[in-house]
Amino acid sequence: MTAVDRTGAPARGAPLRIAVAPRWRRAIGPLVKYALLSLGALLMILPFADMFIGALRSPADVFASPPRYWPQDPQWGVYARVFRELPMTTWFANSIIVTVTITAAQVATSTMAGYALAKYEFGGRAAIFRLVVGAQMFPFFLFIIPIFFILRFAPLMGGNDIAGQGGSGLLGTYAALCLPFVVTWYGVFLMRQFFVSIPDDLLEAARLDGAGEYRIFRSIMLPLVKPAIATLTLFSFVYHWNEFIWTMTVTRAAPELQTLPVGIYLLQGAFEDLDQKALQQAALAVSILPVIVVFLCLQRLFVASEFSSGVK
Amino acid sequence: MPRREFDPGGGGAAPWVFLAPLIAFAAVFFVIPLGFSIWLSFTRWNPLGTPSWVGLRQFEYLFTRDGDFWRSILNTFVFAFGFVALGVPLSLGLAFVFSRARGKTLWRSVYYLPQLTNIVAIAYLWQFVLDDRYGAINRLLGMVGLAGPNWLSDPAMAMVSVVLVMIWYDAGKNMLVFSAALEGVDREIYDAAALDGASPLRTLTSVTLPIIRPAFIFVTITSFITGMGFFALILAMTGGGPRGATEVTALYTYQMAFESLRMGRASAGALILFAIIGVLSILQFRALRGRE
Repeated sequence: MTAVDRTGAPARGAPLRIAVAPRWRRAIGPLVKYALLSLGALLMILPFADMFIGALRSPADVFASPPRYWPQDPQWGVYARVFRELPMTTWFANSIIVTVTITAAQVATSTMAGYALAKYEFGGRAAIFRLVVGAQMFPFFLFIIPIFFILRFAPLMGGNDIAGQGGSGLLGTYAALCLPFVVTWYGVFLMRQFFVSIPDDLLEAARLDGAGEYRIFRSIMLPLVKPAIATLTLFSFVYHWNEFIWTMTVTRAAPELQTLPVGIYLLQGAFEDLDQKALQQAALAVSILPVIVVFLCLQRLFVASEFSSGVK
Repeated sequence: MPRREFDPGGGGAAPWVFLAPLIAFAAVFFVIPLGFSIWLSFTRWNPLGTPSWVGLRQFEYLFTRDGDFWRSILNTFVFAFGFVALGVPLSLGLAFVFSRARGKTLWRSVYYLPQLTNIVAIAYLWQFVLDDRYGAINRLLGMVGLAGPNWLSDPAMAMVSVVLVMIWYDAGKNMLVFSAALEGVDREIYDAAALDGASPLRTLTSVTLPIIRPAFIFVTITSFITGMGFFALILAMTGGGPRGATEVTALYTYQMAFESLRMGRASAGALILFAIIGVLSILQFRALRGRE
């Protein structure tokens, strides 16, 4: 079948079909394509734009009848008010402390465990790898109640006695926010896949040169998986900057530990007033901004195909 | 040339040192919590007192006497199936368009924007857009003389709204998985198909789809698992309301634990939901794989 078709094709250069297609037909494909993409992009951006515009409305705009969509006198000062009238600095600092701690811990534990699973042979390796793969299937909601009480009854912590009674345990500390996330199964899996693809010869050569195991890991192996580390950093940072359910659960009674999303969420009652809506919208805008900046900085390093590493 | 055999077992204690944090974590934050959770589901426990063993009574109550629990299971299915059935094809379609476009970095950033945003902000910015009176959508509809629905305050509409917002939130992530898979397809295969005179439709069904099948299975199952257990969006957007219309099981058990302080029953509910997700994921995996 191919022979016939092939002889029918033009001998060299451009395929015949395209050469005879009228101009408008060649233009219509890309036109539809970019129209669709732009429409979708608009749909992605408009709700954000709506929030930014809303933040700039004055009470006069809101109470006008009919209410004005475009603010007549944009209230740029609202972004300063957010920091004056809300505990924004505390939330911001907490978000940074928690996110940076968790991200650093996850990168450390994932590279170490991923390396061990990829480059060493030892009894129990298969079992640990199965755990890493299998644990990813367990949804987070299953762990909220038990981990909450494991932290609450942590022995000798926060006034607890050795049996975990008497105090409040680790609740109300940064440890409660960070500890349940210091290992990410997905991250271990990702790093393991990367280390597997690094040739054993490198490790062997380093050993022959007399380098110790920890030095090989630190000075030779880690630099080789930088793209994977960048990807993991990005994922962890975004995820934990935005984490909401767990942080809210353990900081409901500890306002000094609340992060941006939790603080804004728990203040919802304070925003019932239409007058305060602009303040809420501005606070949300401020909570989104840092992640966007980090994403734009890191996305250069970030390889889309790593998204499919779980697939192959 | 004599070549020394590489000895992967030559690390001594090093692998265990590297794995120590993972093993400690697995014990304290995976194995113990699961065991604790299972044990709790056989007890009645308000954390102000001590747990008392009640055998299977929590399960019995949830299955036979708790109408709200069954309604929450139904809501969970509607949410998860709506999310998968509409969201997955949409992401796949987007990835097709996307894979042949210029300026990928720009498009990717735009479609990925919701994924970068905290769920509280997502919930609130859609609350503003969907607001019955002041929201942008109903104002637009009003301009062309249409009365928009009460997106979030009408029980019949609220579930539709949260599903649509969930799709909007997640589309970018799944689209990236699909476009990574599409980019992995060798161009020569397309050239060969074109030379053989395959129509675009035939190329799609016989070449492209089989190649991206693993990605399709991956996205479908992970989206399903996400949809069945995800409740942060619903909590922040509707709180499960109006009148329980968007109360999904994960949210129901969360509120049962941290608002009603029924830890035993909430653990039982969470385990039931987990069992349902596990069984359905395996069935789904078999069904999707089986057609090969």
